Amino acid sequence: MRINSKLIKAVAGLAALVCSTAAYAELNVFACEPEYASLVKSLAPEADVYSATTAMQDPHQVQARPSLIAKMRQADLVVCAGADLEIGWLPMLQMKASNSKVRSTDEGLFYAAEHTETLDQLDNVDRSMGDVHAKGNPHLHFDPTKLLEVAKGLSAKLIQLDPQNKPQYEAAFNEFSEQWQAKIPQWQALAKPLQGKKVIGYHSSFRYLFNWTGIEQVADLEPKPGLAPTSSHLATLLARAEKGDVMAIVVASYHDDRGAQWLGERANLPVLMLPMSVGGNEQSTDLISLYDNVLVLLNGVQ
Amino acid sequence: MSVLKTPLSLVSVGCAMVSASVFSQDSSLTNPNISAVLDGYYQSGDRGLEGRGEGFGLGETELAISANIDDMFYGKMTAILAVHDSDTEVELEEAFIQTMGIGAGFDIRAGRFLSDVGYLNNQHPHTDAFVDRPGAYRAFMGGHYFDDGVRLTYVAPTELFWTMGLEAFKGNKMRAAEVAEEHDEHDEHGIEEEHVERDYKTIGVYSAFTKLGGDIGASSSWQLGLSYLRNENGMGFIEEEHDDEPHIAEEHDHSGHNHNAAYSGENTYIADFVYKWAPNGNYKYQHLTLSGEYFRVTDIFSFEEHDHDILSTEKSDDYHQGWYVSGVYQFTPHWSAGLRYGEVDTHEVHGEHLDAQKLKETELSLAWHHSHFSTVRLQYTNQKGTNFDGFEDDNIITLQYVMALGAHGAHQF
Repeated sequence: MRINSKLIKAVAGLAALVCSTAAYAELNVFACEPEYASLVKSLAPEADVYSATTAMQDPHQVQARPSLIAKMRQADLVVCAGADLEIGWLPMLQMKASNSKVRSTDEGLFYAAEHTETLDQLDNVDRSMGDVHAKGNPHLHFDPTKLLEVAKGLSAKLIQLDPQNKPQYEAAFNEFSEQWQAKIPQWQALAKPLQGKKVIGYHSSFRYLFNWTGIEQVADLEPKPGLAPTSSHLATLLARAEKGDVMAIVVASYHDDRGAQWLGERANLPVLMLPMSVGGNEQSTDLISLYDNVLVLLNGVQ
Repeated sequence: MSVLKTPLSLVSVGCAMVSASVFSQDSSLTNPNISAVLDGYYQSGDRGLEGRGEGFGLGETELAISANIDDMFYGKMTAILAVHDSDTEVELEEAFIQTMGIGAGFDIRAGRFLSDVGYLNNQHPHTDAFVDRPGAYRAFMGGHYFDDGVRLTYVAPTELFWTMGLEAFKGNKMRAAEVAEEHDEHDEHGIEEEHVERDYKTIGVYSAFTKLGGDIGASSSWQLGLSYLRNENGMGFIEEEHDDEPHIAEEHDHSGHNHNAAYSGENTYIADFVYKWAPNGNYKYQHLTLSGEYFRVTDIFSFEEHDHDILSTEKSDDYHQGWYVSGVYQFTPHWSAGLRYGEVDTHEVHGEHLDAQKLKETELSLAWHHSHFSTVRLQYTNQKGTNFDGFEDDNIITLQYVMALGAHGAHQF
């Protein structure tokens, strides 16, 4: 009889487990980049969130790999930067995942770039210009005001998909918004000494960060967007650096820093590797600590 | 195969491309992607099994238009311009529609498209790391098998990627050659030339496939596939006439270019794997791709004997097989190198029996990529043939460029 009672307990336990997962059917969210995975976690704490990339991976060059197809197959919502950042892999995932819920921005697809004004929009794009985006620079998560606009749009999207939990989403957004707005003056204070400083960058990865902090990127390690640094291009950068007005060379956590190190040694400039997103270094565990850390690191070299 | 040979149709295709491209400056998801692929080469010798020929030449020049038609359908058209001798052939390689999620993980694709059997078959040849497809593909799939038909796919709602698919195709290009009894002028019996018309099935090819895949940590990804392809018209018949030497029309003997399978059988089994690695999963600088496939083609021939009007058929136990393994390492954004080895074991009709043939290919390639869109490749190939169309031991050097213009669609894993 003991065996039977054990069996009954096991069955009851299993039934309870099945029922409980059904009762709290969480929103399944697929984020293209870790900054949006982090934002979703803030705005929908109950959601099951998966990030397709890490801060160590260039989101321009991602394989439409089997694991991503499996994750998108089960997603209720896909959150991406947009502005064609994921053009090389997202359409393939959408086609292979056979999930009608996430194919249109009217439903479970969300592009951050559609909820704020992007910088550097172009009327005409030519391949000779390199890997540029007509819809503007997609690395927009480093502007605190724009990110808050995106958060607002994303919260509305969560409510649209899961109207039953509207009060929870509204409460989560309000909490995030308050914390964020309280941080903005602190960040502005940290950014003040950086204003007008000149850096050599890698790609336009930190376009938004430099824009609101007032840092000027005077040269780019990439000869053209998307092309890796070449020795001849580095030589021209060395000439530029020798003018003596450059504060540092700034690269992102997914960039190869060999070109930057070569230039840094010869020009006697510090090379700063900033986390591109949440998880880009130990200190950056969410969006707020990411901003904190990036500003501390920049202040460390000025 | 729709072959338009008139210059007028070429021009009209060209004009359609140009006029459409004017409107595609914003390469958004809703506007059509219009792209062209240019492929040219110089090669120091001839490759077996419909591989590239000696001298200067063009590979497949590809023109493609694709877009989401609406929120339900996606459509793509790919035209291939291939030059053979002085003929320019325009061939439709793809012209299909696909649903974008009809519910419960199902989707349907219809029209002309690349079969999803094996690993390489559904990839466009311009994304390959080597000049030609492996010998197994050239022998059994006509390079890459595309045809008119329909496909149903299902993706399981599992953490591990698991997809299954069923396809049905016209299958004309996978047909075994017709049996022809050729009687020459010196035919003693004085019978008129007789041509046995084979009764081909109109839906010639069915396939079923499944693929599994996942990640190992942040750096590695893998996929395994198993496919079965049923070719109703794939078996060749060899007639045994006592006075006459039997003949079988070998399609690959025809001069000129074709996309037909050179060697066919009723049942084809394919097993494939691919493994990709990049440091931290960041494909920007370095990445490694290992892949391999094995093909086994069975029920390739049957012997028919006419004895006093009684037809007896005996299936041959012989089979074709082919395999390759390939490793490609991109060691900087600008340079990649690849090594591939493959073998093909086939049978050719000779008299009343089958002769075994073998082709071994060892390939070494070095490619320079100025950007994602431009590649210049230098390849060394050693092909060793045994009883294989006169190929014995050749060392071949190929210099090739492959470049893509315009808004190019996303690539598969």
